[in-house]
Amino acid sequence: MDSEALWLTLRLAASTTAILLIIALPLAWWIASGHSVIRALAQAVVALPLVLPPTVLGYYLLIAMGPMTAPGRILMRIFGHPLAFSFAGLLIGSVLYSLPFAVQPLVAGFRAVDRGYVEAAAGLGVRPFAVFLSVVLPLSRASLLTSAVLAFTHTVGEFGVVLMLGGNIPGATRTLSISLFDQVEEFNYRAANQTALLLLVFSMAALLLIYLLPTLRRMDGRQADIAG
Amino acid sequence: MPDSLLTVAVRHRVGAVALDVSFRLTQPWTVLFGPSGSGKTTLLRAIAGFVRPDAGRINSASEAWFDALANIFVPPHRRAVRSAGQIARLFPHMSVSRNIMYGLGWNSKPHDAREISEQVMDSFGLRQLADRMPRELSGGESQRASVARALVSAITFDAPGTPLLLLDEPLAGLDVAMRDQMVAELKRWTERWRIPVLSVTHALSEAFLLEAEVVKIADGKVAQQGPVAEVLAEERSQLLKQLRG
Repeated sequence: MDSEALWLTLRLAASTTAILLIIALPLAWWIASGHSVIRALAQAVVALPLVLPPTVLGYYLLIAMGPMTAPGRILMRIFGHPLAFSFAGLLIGSVLYSLPFAVQPLVAGFRAVDRGYVEAAAGLGVRPFAVFLSVVLPLSRASLLTSAVLAFTHTVGEFGVVLMLGGNIPGATRTLSISLFDQVEEFNYRAANQTALLLLVFSMAALLLIYLLPTLRRMDGRQADIAG
Repeated sequence: MPDSLLTVAVRHRVGAVALDVSFRLTQPWTVLFGPSGSGKTTLLRAIAGFVRPDAGRINSASEAWFDALANIFVPPHRRAVRSAGQIARLFPHMSVSRNIMYGLGWNSKPHDAREISEQVMDSFGLRQLADRMPRELSGGESQRASVARALVSAITFDAPGTPLLLLDEPLAGLDVAMRDQMVAELKRWTERWRIPVLSVTHALSEAFLLEAEVVKIADGKVAQQGPVAEVLAEERSQLLKQLRG
């Protein structure tokens, strides 16, 4: 087992999830708050990583972050080194790649919140941002959890973008999925087995958590009803 | 002529209803009276800021909330208005007491605000329901809590002046005795805190009980405005005739 890769993967997934939630919450609320051409366009752009080969995304990011473009040169000046083949570069790639997995469950969750509650809160003089925090978010907490779990697991499972953008640098850009690829290339099937099994068990557990949640909550509610 | 609390002159078309109304609120309690589908709810929603009328103006005593020509539209949460609608809309993830304290102002004196909420809960018969969740309430209990929530928010209003309390038949589901009792409690609170009220009803008894100013709406227009005994005299005698058989 490549523990360095495991640690790096967890760090990457946790940071990606944190950044994604900060971006996805306002973005999803805006998308869910109406219908317009510009919202449709935003949704299409957000969904792009779902259908695009990861290598295409990785390729464009590689170019954009490199010395060949103006933004790339600015980034190089800020960080003192090219972002490609570094953890920071990988993080940017992961955020873009997992964006739809964070945004789409939230959009669905926000759309399901009865606007009557938002109106009731505004009718009591409460500012929209406070209404979002105190009413909208609690009423869509299942979607929030789904969004976080999917963003995390999807980042753990990414391969194409990482390879294209990060290369394969131990401790900086070699994640578990890349490590598995290496192990197989080295015919180290014992290690490969361990890595693959770990990823499988982790993914299954995360998905089970999402799908089990409504059942757990219903049991919760039933117990409360009996107690009440 | 007394100062105007609110001046409304709007035109708005939604579905089959074409609103074209203009009136001024000058009395502490004004009732919008009229048949269902006459546009009362839309009018209240326009005053609260949930509907943007096609044309016209809505002015409070101190500022313009809506002016189609000047392109002024003050968003609902910034209007000196507190609303309770036909549907209770208690926040399902909060207990009754948290719901009632949700729109609490008076951040500078939280102790007083808490005391007011508890007194209001008492007078609306909600004290023993304080820790219940909305899904554990009956329809009538939810409606009482919804009115109490708007009232507490209006009393503890955190800006200069008093807000206008907008009530869109929030007690319609209650039986008559309970409704009359709640209306009396409401009137006591709003008189004590000098909170002006604009409420919608099509219950004749409620309008008379309140001794309110009545704005009679018919076909989207103001048919008449004045003291209840004057404006609803005809409805009253009709009702009495029916009762006598």
